[in-house]
Amino acid sequence: MNLERDRHLIFISMKKIRAISIIDDDPITVFGIKKMLSSIEASEHITTYPNGKEAIDGIRLSLENGSGVPEVIFLDINMPIMDGWQFLEEFIALPLKERIRINIVTSSIDPADKQNWECYKEKTHHLLDYKNKPIRRSDILEITRVA
Amino acid sequence: MLRGTQDSLDNNLIKQLPYATAFINSDLEVVHASDRWISEFDLEEKEVIGKTLRQIFPDIRNSWKKDLKKVLKGGGKTTDIECFLDQNGQEHWFNWTNSPWHDQKGAIIGVIIQTEDITNEIFDSAKLEKLEILLNDKSEISRIGSWQFDAVKKELIWCDITKEIHEVPLDYKPNIETAISFYKEGYSRNTIAMAVDQAMVEGKPWNEKLQLVTAKGNEIWVIAAGKPIFKDDKFLGLIGTFQDITNDIISQRKNEEQERLFQSIFNSSYQFTGILDLDGTFLQINETALDFADLKEKDVVGKKFWDAYWWPIPDMIRDGLKTVVKAAAGGEIMRSEIVVLDKNQEIVPVDFSLKPIFDKKKKVTSLLAEGRMIKEMVVAREKLKVSEKKFRALFELSPIAINLSDYDTGEILEINSAFTEALGFGNEEITNLKYNSLVPNTKNLKLNQIKEILEKEGTFGPLEHELIRKDGSTFKASLSGSLVETKKGKRLLWTAAQDLTEVKRKEKQINEEKQLLRTLIDNLPLNVYIKDLESRKVLVNKAEMDYCGIKQHDDIIGKSDSDFYDDTSVKISREEDLQVMNTLTPILGKETINIKKDGKLTTFLTSKIPLIGEDGEAKGLIGISMDISDLKRKEKELQDLISVTSVQNKQLINFAHIVSHNLRSHSANFSMLLEFLVNETDETEKENLVKMLTEASDNLLETLDNLNEVVAISTNVNLEKKPVNLLKKISAVEQNLSAFLKKNNAQILNEIPSDTKVNVVPAYLDSILMNFMTNAVKYKDPQRDPVVKLSLDLCDGYKVLSITDNGLGIDLDKYGAKLYGMYKTFHDNPDARGIGLYITKNQVEAMNGKITVSSEPGKGSTFNIHFNEKN
Repeated sequence: MNLERDRHLIFISMKKIRAISIIDDDPITVFGIKKMLSSIEASEHITTYPNGKEAIDGIRLSLENGSGVPEVIFLDINMPIMDGWQFLEEFIALPLKERIRINIVTSSIDPADKQNWECYKEKTHHLLDYKNKPIRRSDILEITRVA
Repeated sequence: MLRGTQDSLDNNLIKQLPYATAFINSDLEVVHASDRWISEFDLEEKEVIGKTLRQIFPDIRNSWKKDLKKVLKGGGKTTDIECFLDQNGQEHWFNWTNSPWHDQKGAIIGVIIQTEDITNEIFDSAKLEKLEILLNDKSEISRIGSWQFDAVKKELIWCDITKEIHEVPLDYKPNIETAISFYKEGYSRNTIAMAVDQAMVEGKPWNEKLQLVTAKGNEIWVIAAGKPIFKDDKFLGLIGTFQDITNDIISQRKNEEQERLFQSIFNSSYQFTGILDLDGTFLQINETALDFADLKEKDVVGKKFWDAYWWPIPDMIRDGLKTVVKAAAGGEIMRSEIVVLDKNQEIVPVDFSLKPIFDKKKKVTSLLAEGRMIKEMVVAREKLKVSEKKFRALFELSPIAINLSDYDTGEILEINSAFTEALGFGNEEITNLKYNSLVPNTKNLKLNQIKEILEKEGTFGPLEHELIRKDGSTFKASLSGSLVETKKGKRLLWTAAQDLTEVKRKEKQINEEKQLLRTLIDNLPLNVYIKDLESRKVLVNKAEMDYCGIKQHDDIIGKSDSDFYDDTSVKISREEDLQVMNTLTPILGKETINIKKDGKLTTFLTSKIPLIGEDGEAKGLIGISMDISDLKRKEKELQDLISVTSVQNKQLINFAHIVSHNLRSHSANFSMLLEFLVNETDETEKENLVKMLTEASDNLLETLDNLNEVVAISTNVNLEKKPVNLLKKISAVEQNLSAFLKKNNAQILNEIPSDTKVNVVPAYLDSILMNFMTNAVKYKDPQRDPVVKLSLDLCDGYKVLSITDNGLGIDLDKYGAKLYGMYKTFHDNPDARGIGLYITKNQVEAMNGKITVSSEPGKGSTFNIHFNEKN
C-alpha cells in the first residue's frame, strides 16, 4: 500500500550503499532486517555476524585487505562473547575517516543501555542511532542511509 | 736721832702703835716701847725704858740674844715663836719679829722688836685638835680612830677605834715600827714612812689615803692624817687620826666600775640611747644610734633633738618633738612607736621613749632618749595579729566544741559557738562553770587520770568520754586537750569535744549514701571509671571491673590500660584522655572500639568528662562507656540485610529487564514475522515465515521456563536447609553425568573427606554441582582432556568447595563483571545458554553463600563455592 511512496523514497535515497553489516545473535532478527533491506534494495553487500567478536574481527580484516568498512551497521546489544557495547568500544577506536551510521537495534528498555548510547554518541564522530525492536519497514529506509 | 735719847714726840708715837713694839739699842737696852708691848708683857708696873732685856726678862734664852746680835750686825730680819711662862706660870706664846733699826744714815743702831701674842691661837688650835680627837673618839659611826706618839716616852697610843680599824685586841700595845708595818707594803708603807720622817724633821703634817692590812689580814682603805707637836723647837711627838674609808673606796670603785660599765653599755647597746638636757640638746649619744644613721658624734652632740638626722619629715614633726621634750622635762615619761630613717634613708620602725632623769631631790636634771628597732617586732606582731585572727576564726567557726579553762582552778575561761550548740551553755553562763561539772568522773575515766596524762604529756586524747549538757543530759564525745602555759606561769587547758552521736549519725548517713551511690554506679549498665592524669584507673564500677576481669576493686589501683587492652586501643584511649584533659572539653557519645588482650573486640559509646581541680587544671577524668557491641552487631546485620536486599533488588530489576528484554525480543520477532507474513504473497516464503514463527514460539517457551526457574529460586529464599553429605552428593552427580564425562574423557579428582557435611537446600546443591561440573568439562581446552578437581577448605566460617578445571579459562578482566549475568556466554560454544551460572549464583546466594572465581585464559578456572553453615 505504501509501495508508491516507498519507491519514491528509495529513489531519492538510493545513493549506492557499498556495504551493510548486521551484528545480532538472533537469526530471526537477522532474517527480518535482511528481508527489509533487500525489499528496498539497499545494498549488494550485506554481511551478518552472530556476535561482536566476529564482527570486529571481520571489519578489521576487510580494512586490512582494502575492501572497506560497511557504511551502515545494525548492532544488537545482548550478544554472547562480545556484546554490542564491547564491539562499539573497539570499533570507534578504528582509524576511520568516514562517518559510519551505526543503528543500535535492541529489545532492551533498560535505561542503562540508553545512557550508554548517549555516552558513546559523544565519544565518536560516527552517527549513532538507537532503535527498539522490532524494526518496521517504514523505519528501515530512514536508517539505511549513508551518514 | 740720838742714840739712847728719848724723843718725846717719837716716844709718844711709838707708845700708840697698835702692835707690841719695842726699840732696843745696841746694848740691848729698851729705848722705846709701845703701850701694847708693855701691857702684853705685864710690865706696866716696871720701868722698862733704859733697862736691858735681860733685866726685863731674866730668863731670856741665849738663842734670842744671839738672834738680836745677828740683826745688829746686819744679819737681817729674824722671826720666831717663843713661849713664855708668866709670873703665874701661864704659858704665853709669842710670834717674834726682830728687824734692824736704822739711823738716818742707814747705820744699824738697834733692833725693833715686834711681838704678837699668839697664845690664844696656839691654844685654840690645840683645843680644836683635842676636840677633834674627842669627837673622833666618840664617833664610832664615822670610824675615825686617833693616836698619839709621845716622842719623849717613845710611846704610841691607839684609841679603841684605831685598834678596831687595825683589828687588834683592845689591849694591843703598838709601837711606831709595828704601826708602820700595818701599812700595805709598797706605796702605802713608803708613803707613810716618808710622811712621818718629814713631819719630824720639817714639821709637816700629812693627810693620805692609804691601804692597811689588818691583823686579820683584811685590806682596808684609810685616811691617815697626822702632825708633829713641837715645843720650843723640840719635837714632842705626833698626833693623828685614822678613818676607815674602805666602804667608800669600794663604793667609789663601784661607781667607777659602774660608770665604765654604763659607758660600755651605753655605747654597745642595741638600743639607740642619748642624753638630752632639758632644752632638748644632745649631751651624749651612743654608737648604735650613730652607726645606724652613719653619723659622727659631732653631728649630734650639741644639736637639738628635733634637728637630728633621723626624722623622716622634720618640718612636720618638729613641733611635736619639742612638745615631747617639754613634757619629759616636766617629769613625764614619753613613749610611742615612731619611724626613723636609717643610713640608706629607709624607714625603720622604732619603739621610742624619752624619760626624765631625776636627781636626789627629785628634780629633772636631764632626759634619757631611747629607741629600740622593732622592725622584726612589727612584722612579728602583724603575723601574730593575723594568726590570732585566724585562730579566732578557727575557734569560732570550728564545728568542734572547744573550751579554754584554767587548769588549776577548773574555771572555764572561753567557749566557742560549737560548744554552746553542743552543751547548751552560753557565753554569759561560763563564769559559773567548772571543768569538772562538764567532764564528769566515770567508771572508765576519772578526771585525775586525764590530769595525770596532761601533766606528763602536755596533751591528752582523743578519748571517748561523756560530757554533761546544761540540761543535765550526757552524751558521748571524743575529747582531746592540750595544756599550755602563759608567760605568767598560768596553766591553761584547751579542750576540744566532738559530739560522737552526731558524727556517728553523719558517718552512717555518709556511708549509706556512699553505699547507695556505689550500688547505683555498680548496677548501671554502663562502665564507669575515674582515671588520673596518667590514665590510670583509680575508681571503677562493677561493670568496668567485670570488663577488665578483676574481682576486687583495689586490684585496679596502679593498673593502666595497657594491663588490659591491646596496644592500639591503649594508644587511642590515651590520646582521647589527653585531649579531654588538655582542652578540658568532654568527649561525649563517641563510638570507640576497644580490643582486650585476649583479642575480644567491644564497641563502646564512650563519654569522657574532665575532672577539674580547684586550680582549674585537669586532675583526671570520668569515663562512662556503654557496651554497644550487640547493637553494633545488629546494626551490621541490618546493614548486611540492607545490602543483601539492595543486591536482590538490583538483581530483581536486572531480572525484570532480562524478562522484559527476552519477552520483548521474542514478541518483536513475532511482530516482525507476522508483518512479513501479512504482506507475503509467495507461498514458499509464507511457509518459511510460519516455520520461523514456530521456532520463535518455542524459544519463547524456553525463555519462560528459564525465567520460571529463576523466579522459583528467588522467591524461595528461605527454603529449609539440611546437613547433607557432600561426597555422596558429588558421587551422585558424577553418576548422572557418567555418559557425558566418558564421552569427553573427563577425569574427576575428588578430595572431599567422606564425612564432610554441608548445610544446604539439597535440590540446589544438586543443581550447583551439576552446573559447575558440566561447565568444567563443557569449556574444556580442545588440546587436552578435562581434569576436574574438587577440594574442601574452611574460610571465615564458611565451608568452601573449590572446583578447579584445566579448561579454556575466562578473561576475567573482560568478562568478570558479566560472569553470572543471564544469557551471557563467553565461549563460542553452541551449547552455551548463558543461564547456568546465573541460576547457580542465585541458588548459592539463596543459601546465604557466595561464589568467588579465579581464572586464566588457556589454563583453567577455579570456582569457590562458600557454604554458609550458620543459617
